[in-house]
Amino acid sequence: MATCKECKSFFGREDDPGQGDCVTRQVDPRQSYYRAKPVEAEKDASKCGSFQKK
Amino acid sequence: MAKSQQARDVDELVKNREWWFVAEKTRSSRLDYLRKAVWKKGAIGGNYAPGIKIDLKFPQLFTEKWKEHDGDPIMLQKANALAHVLDNTPIFITDHAQLVGYVGSAPHEIVWHWQGVSMVNEEIYNEQGIIPEPEQESLETLAELNDYWGGRTAVDKLARVLDPEDAVKFMSGAIGWGTPTSAVTYSTKDFDFIFQGFEALLAKVEQCIEDTEEKLQGEPSPELLPLYEKIPNWEAMQIILEAGIRYAKRYARLARTVAEHFESDPKRREELLRVAETCERVPAKPPRSLQESFQFDHFVQVILRYETFEGAWPHRPDYVHGPFYDQDVNVEKRLTKEEAIDLVGEHLIRTYEVGIFAPRWTREGLQGITGTWVWTMGGVKPDGSDACNDLTVAYMQAARLVRVSNPTFGFRWHPKVKDEVMRECFECIRHGLGYPSMRNDPVLVANSVHWHGHPVEEARTWVHQACMSPCPTTKYGCQPFRMASATANCAKMVEYALHNGYDPVVNMQMGPQTGDPREFKDFEEFFQAWVKQMEWLRNILVRTVNLGRVKDPVFFSRPVLSSVYERAIETGTDACDPTNGERGNAWVTGFTWVENADSLAAVKKFIYDEKKYTMAQLMDALNANWDGYEEMRLDFVKNAPKWGNDDDYVDEIMVRCLREVSRHAKEIKCPSNNNWPLLPENVSGNIHYSSVVGALPNGRRLGDALYDGGISPGPGLDRKGPTAVLKSCGKFDHVTDGRAFLLNQRLSPTQLSGEKGYQLWKAYMKTWADLGLDHVQFNMVDDATLRAAQKDPEKYQEVIVRVAGYSAHFVDISRKTQDNIIQRTVQGLG
Repeated sequence: MATCKECKSFFGREDDPGQGDCVTRQVDPRQSYYRAKPVEAEKDASKCGSFQKK
Repeated sequence: MAKSQQARDVDELVKNREWWFVAEKTRSSRLDYLRKAVWKKGAIGGNYAPGIKIDLKFPQLFTEKWKEHDGDPIMLQKANALAHVLDNTPIFITDHAQLVGYVGSAPHEIVWHWQGVSMVNEEIYNEQGIIPEPEQESLETLAELNDYWGGRTAVDKLARVLDPEDAVKFMSGAIGWGTPTSAVTYSTKDFDFIFQGFEALLAKVEQCIEDTEEKLQGEPSPELLPLYEKIPNWEAMQIILEAGIRYAKRYARLARTVAEHFESDPKRREELLRVAETCERVPAKPPRSLQESFQFDHFVQVILRYETFEGAWPHRPDYVHGPFYDQDVNVEKRLTKEEAIDLVGEHLIRTYEVGIFAPRWTREGLQGITGTWVWTMGGVKPDGSDACNDLTVAYMQAARLVRVSNPTFGFRWHPKVKDEVMRECFECIRHGLGYPSMRNDPVLVANSVHWHGHPVEEARTWVHQACMSPCPTTKYGCQPFRMASATANCAKMVEYALHNGYDPVVNMQMGPQTGDPREFKDFEEFFQAWVKQMEWLRNILVRTVNLGRVKDPVFFSRPVLSSVYERAIETGTDACDPTNGERGNAWVTGFTWVENADSLAAVKKFIYDEKKYTMAQLMDALNANWDGYEEMRLDFVKNAPKWGNDDDYVDEIMVRCLREVSRHAKEIKCPSNNNWPLLPENVSGNIHYSSVVGALPNGRRLGDALYDGGISPGPGLDRKGPTAVLKSCGKFDHVTDGRAFLLNQRLSPTQLSGEKGYQLWKAYMKTWADLGLDHVQFNMVDDATLRAAQKDPEKYQEVIVRVAGYSAHFVDISRKTQDNIIQRTVQGLG
C-alpha cells in the first residue's frame, strides 16, 4: 500500500515525524501558488490522484 | 534630458485621466502580478463573479471538532473547533507574495459563517454558481451541515427569547438592517496591546488561571462562585493563542519547503526564507520590521475572520505600522522606498482579496464589495500632536498604484496637517478612487467625548468602526460588537406618521397609532406624530440589539477576539460581555434620513402654511403612488423647499428632527448604560430600500431610488451650488446633534485638474472645516466616462466610484445604483 510519506509532495515535520505537509503547485485562471495541507505520514495514498513516488 | 517613451506614454494617460493604465505602467512587476492575481470577492450587482466558490473545508473541520466537544462550555467548544480549523485547513502562498494568510483554503474560495443565521445557510444551498465541484457531493455536505446547525445558530437561539411582536416586525425587513449577533459584526482592535505578541498574552492568561485557581482553594464564600465561570474563558483564550502561533508556523514551513525544494530563482528563494522567518517570529513575538508588523496584523485579521463575519475592518495602519516603516526606510535603511511601497501595496491587496459569503440583502446593500473596510489615516496622537507620518503618504501612493476598492481610507483632517499630506489625499481623489473620505478630527474627537464620555486622550485614538463611526482603540474604548441591526430605515418615520403607524408596503401595523393625518389641525400635530414614530422605530431596533448583545457570549461566543482584548483577559470574560468595563460606543445608523426633512417641509408648506392642497388630497396621491397626480407630484418635487439649498425653511426642520433624535438618544441606553446617537448614512441602502419605502411627500414614488447620503441633498435637488450645500449642513452641530453625518459630493475632474484644481479643492475644504462639518467624500469621474462604462463595461472594469461609505468598481454595482451616482449634481467650485 502506498502511503503519503512515500510521495514526492510529502514533507515530514521535524517536530512530529508522524505528520507532514502535502505541498503541491497549483495554477488557477488568475494566479499560481503553492498549497499545503496536513497529512499523516502513514496515510493510505493508493487512491490519491496526485501520488508520485519519491 | 528627453523623456523616455514610457514616460511620454504615462503623460498621455494622465492627460486622458486613464488612471488604471497609469497605475499599470508605473507599479512594480510584483504589484502588477499580485493585483491582477486577485479573485474579486465583491458581488457584481447581487451575484458572485464566475469561479468564486464556497469553502466547505472550514465548516466540515469546525463541525467535526465541535461535535466532539459537545457538552463543553460554548467558549471551549468553539475554541477547540477553531483551533482544529487553523491546524488543518489548507493554506497557500501566491507567487511573488511577501505577505501570507487568507480566510479560505484556496484563492477563489470564500468562507461562510454558518453559526450565525439559519436563513443564510438555506440561501447558500440555493445560491447558483458558488457550490464547489463535484456539485452533488457538495450539496449533500451542505445539507448535512444545515440539518445539524438548524436551530443551533446564534439568531435561532435569540429568536427564542425575543419578544414575538418585536421579532415579527424586525423580520419584516421594512425597518431595520442587520443581525443582532456578533456572528455578523465588526470589532475595534488595540494593536498597542496585541503587538506584545501571543506568547506574552498567553503568559497573562496563564497567570490569571494560576491566580484564580489559588483563590478557588480558599474559604467558601459567594465571592468565589463567579470565578468558576472565568476559568473556561481563559482556557479558551489559551487554546486560540497557541493555535494562532501554530497556524503561522504552518506558513513558515510551507515557505521554507518551497524555498528549499521547489524555487530555482535565488532572489525569490531569499524572499521565501524571509517569509518563513517572519512567520516563525509573529504573531508569537512582537514585530521588529515593517514586514513582520504587516504580517502580524494580517494574521490577527485572518484568524478573527475565521471566528466571525467581520463585516468591517476598523484599523489605523499608518499609526500602527508607521514606526516600523520609519525604522526600516529612514533609520536603518533596510528597505528602499520602492521596496516599502511594494509591501504597502501588497498589504492593501492581501486585504482586498479577503471575501466572506454575504446573504443577498447584504450584497444589495453593499454592492461591489464584501464589507465596509474603511481604514483610518492621519489624525492626531493622544497628546494632540500631528500623527501623520511617512507611511500615511506611502499608503496614499500605494493606493493609486494598486487601485483596490476595499479597503478604502478615511482621512482624519486637522489644522496641523501638512500640505504635502493634503496633496496626497487630493491626488487619490483626483485619480478617481473616491477615497479618502475627509473627516474633521477636532469635531469628531469632541463628538466622542460628548456622546460616550471617552476621555479626550482616548478619543484621539479613534478609528472608523465601519464606514463612519469613530471608536477609540483603547482598553475600555474598543467596541467588540457592531450594533448591526440598529440600522434604521428612517424614511419609515415620516411614512408611518402619514399612515397612522401602518406600513402600506408590507401591509402590517408597525408603529404606534398616532392618528389619521387628515384629522391633524396643524403642522405641530403632524410633527409630534413623526416624533412618536421615530422613537418607536429606534426603540424596537435598540431593544433587539441590546438583547442580542448581552446574550452573545452564550449564543455565539468570541474566544479569538477575547484572547486579544485586554479587558477580557483581565476579567476572564468574553470580549462581548458588556459587564467587563466597556464604556459603550453604540449608534443607530440612519439610512434614508433626509427624506424626512424634505417630506416634512413639503407638508408644512403646501398643506398647513399655504393650504395649497389638503392632507386628504395628499393622502389620496400617496395612496395611489402619485399615479394620476403627476402635475401635483412635480409641484412637490420642484416647488417644495429642499434640503441642501441654504433655505432656512427646510433646514430648520432638519435641525429640529436631529435635535429630537438627539434628545431620544440620551434617553435610551446600551447594555453599558451609554447613549445611542443617530448616524445618518446609506451604504447602498437607498437602493435596497427603494422597493420597501412607499410614496412620500417629497415627490418620491415607490421604487424610486432614495437619496444617497446621510445628509446629502437629493440627487439634482441641490440647485444653489456647493457652498449652499455646505451652509445647509453647517446649520446643525456636528458634535451634539448626532454621531456623524455622511455627505457625498461630485466634483468635475476637468475643473480640478492641475495646481489650480488643488487650490480650488483646498479652499472648498477650508469652508467645510470652518463650518464644522464632520465628513465629506468625493466622486471625481465625469458623466461621459460613467455612461461609456454602462455601454461597454468590459472596457471600464477598473473605474472606481464612491457609492456611500465605501468605494466600488462602477461595473460591479447595479444599474439603478449607477444611475443614482450619475444623477448626483456635479458641483462647480470657485
